[in-house]
Amino acid sequence: MNEQLVSMITQLVMEKMGGSTVTDAPKNTVTPSEKSKEKLSKLDETAGNVAHEMPTAAPNDTLIKLYNHASHTQQQSYEPSFGEPADRIAPITTFQFEDDNVSESVQAARKHTPARIGVGRAGTRPKTKTWLKFRLDHAAAVDAVYGEVTDNLLKQLNVFQVTTRVTNKEEYITRPDLGRRLSDESKALIQAKCQNNPQVQIIISNGLSASAIETNIQDVYLALQQSLSNLNIDIGTTFYIDKGRVALMDEIGELLQAEVVVYLIGERPGLVSAESMSAYLCYKPRFGTVEADRMVISNIHKGGIPPLEAGAYLGTVVEKILQYKASGVGLVAKES
Amino acid sequence: MKTEKIYSAGIDIGTSTTKMVVSSLLLKNVAGLTHVPRIEIIEKTILHQSPIIRTPFINKEVIDMEKIEQFIFQQYELAGIAPADIATGAIIITGESATKQNASEVIHAIANTAGHFLVATAGPDLEGIIAAKGAGTLQQSKNTAKVIANIDIGGGTANIAVMQFGEVIGTCTLHIGGRLIEFHHGVVQSISSPIRKLMDTWPDPLSVGDAAEDKRVIRCMEEMVDTLAMTLSGQLTDERHPLLLGHLPSWDKPIDAIMFSGGVAACLYENDCSERQYDDIGEKLAKMLLQHEQLQSFLWLKPQETSRATVTGAGTQTTEISGATIQVNADVLPLKNVPVITCHMASPLEEVEHVVKTAVERADTLFSIQENRSPFALYFSHLPYLSFQDVHRLCEVILQQLAAKSSKEMPIIIVMQSDYAKVIGQTIQALHRTVPIICIDQIKVETGDYIDIGEVLPSGVVPVVVKTLAFHSK
Repeated sequence: MNEQLVSMITQLVMEKMGGSTVTDAPKNTVTPSEKSKEKLSKLDETAGNVAHEMPTAAPNDTLIKLYNHASHTQQQSYEPSFGEPADRIAPITTFQFEDDNVSESVQAARKHTPARIGVGRAGTRPKTKTWLKFRLDHAAAVDAVYGEVTDNLLKQLNVFQVTTRVTNKEEYITRPDLGRRLSDESKALIQAKCQNNPQVQIIISNGLSASAIETNIQDVYLALQQSLSNLNIDIGTTFYIDKGRVALMDEIGELLQAEVVVYLIGERPGLVSAESMSAYLCYKPRFGTVEADRMVISNIHKGGIPPLEAGAYLGTVVEKILQYKASGVGLVAKES
Repeated sequence: MKTEKIYSAGIDIGTSTTKMVVSSLLLKNVAGLTHVPRIEIIEKTILHQSPIIRTPFINKEVIDMEKIEQFIFQQYELAGIAPADIATGAIIITGESATKQNASEVIHAIANTAGHFLVATAGPDLEGIIAAKGAGTLQQSKNTAKVIANIDIGGGTANIAVMQFGEVIGTCTLHIGGRLIEFHHGVVQSISSPIRKLMDTWPDPLSVGDAAEDKRVIRCMEEMVDTLAMTLSGQLTDERHPLLLGHLPSWDKPIDAIMFSGGVAACLYENDCSERQYDDIGEKLAKMLLQHEQLQSFLWLKPQETSRATVTGAGTQTTEISGATIQVNADVLPLKNVPVITCHMASPLEEVEHVVKTAVERADTLFSIQENRSPFALYFSHLPYLSFQDVHRLCEVILQQLAAKSSKEMPIIIVMQSDYAKVIGQTIQALHRTVPIICIDQIKVETGDYIDIGEVLPSGVVPVVVKTLAFHSK
């Protein structure tokens, strides 16, 4: 849905309802209030957490505060679109969202799903608050795709960075094949810096969500390291790949002759979470490895599989892969 | 997807009757292929139901344990299952039987002999909850969004458990039951002590030897039913009411619907008391409940089980399955009757040291008899979102408090609801290689509860029974 379409439809509806009700329209224009109890959802906080992109949004911002930025311009663009004479506009009163007055059973149902259920409606469209939240979540998803992982984080993790044959984000999105190959300089860098023949090679890439890496990588990586060291499994030299695709692990496996590759990568963001991360695992990935041999633990984020627990669990999965010398469908077959 | 089958037993030793069920529980990984596994019980099948027998007594105060054991082993034979195959389940002692001299001894002894991992439980609140689960009230409350009270009226007590959205929101137990006044050849043969207490204020109380048709018997029953109606409608506020056992009603929402289970309830719904062949007030009590005006204002629902509600609950509803990502030293399991101490973690993490220290000190004073220390579980409630550093800090504090005292007989036992067991267990292991540790999650307990942890199942999870062990006195 785009804004123009929304206002066009609204206008049509208003005309049909007759001139008298048109006066109500300005009230629908949201004047922000800080009184609303609704906090930003987790996702919204995501947007705030990507500090380098939105320095003004602190994690505790309320939905309304964030909206404040835009309110000024929005009012200007909305009013003329209704085509009303200025004298008919009602005095602007401080707007307040009506209280979330949902039944106990809806509240109980909400505990079981992050979906937007029981949000009510205004005529045939969602309420303004719901709509804004949807827009905000969508924006967070877009930001996640176009964001970058900060150098600071890479320094903290003590990993170096390599690149693929992709040159920019647009190319990354339109040319998956280029994201599956290392650039020539990167190949040389990896060969120079990395331990050969490691039992486990861990690699990290922003993939389609930089915020996934920003928020989760530390906990997952540290827990995974600890878990592997408890199990006496030797870890190679971890590095970070800018704009990598999953199948890039084949080339890296080939290059370093790793037994198992664990690939931590940002998932395509959705409207429930923009910071979901996946861990792809494969036994001896080499050129020509088929997808059925890869396995994945997905949905790693605060609202899904807790990052720490995922990291701890991944260690035992690696142990199993090493034990059966297989991954993916092959592992399932050998296990049963 | 692969499933796993375990056998479970339930035994209910009640005021007047004893019964048993043997059932099978089917476990399956219900998480998607790309997720961390989540093992749940997906099917419960009752394989064998015993007849309902009279609870055997040696004398008024002593339960005949031998006879009960005989009965149980006979039922196992009929079911075609060896006690050693019982991987989980519970034995519960209920009503007035829980007040007998050897009540505790009986259930612990039977729990040890009548199954590989059978759990001893007792306590009026738990009784009510188990009965409500067995009667299907919990499931009904999930389906209807109504606040439903399950009233399990047996021989000695009426255990009320109130549920909404599939969760217990309160309990209460009353001295209301079919065998509180017994007859023999048309005269009163025995009157239980709560009823005597009830009649304390009467100028002319009923006594043994009076006629069964005496008006005062009716009056006693009227008192019982009135008290029940008051309790259900939130009017019972007298803490010292003679018919109240334990605490006042603990729910705070008005009740929409009621459901009766237990021996007396069999007469309510089936209009057939043939199963109850006792010379007592049970039948009349049922009639009075049906006719009571105030009780009619509630919606009456029909239970799935009446007399067998508690035993069915004990056999099929007491076992929980831990999270799939846990850290356990297999050789210290199973662990039985482990008391729980709660570490309330809602406060900022800076105070973790203090919180854990206080909890351990409390556990030490509560659970160690002289030099004889018994293991206890630390339950971390309200854990905030933890980072790797937070977990390290928490584990260091735990080890600081417990590492020196731990041994194979005293493992560190950590229980929590949020999904952190594996990482906390691993971190403790990383910091201290040799300390025995049991760290499980997805389990909710409270201080005062006991927890029994079974052996690791092939899928890597452990069966857990959260319970109380409260033998109320008269």
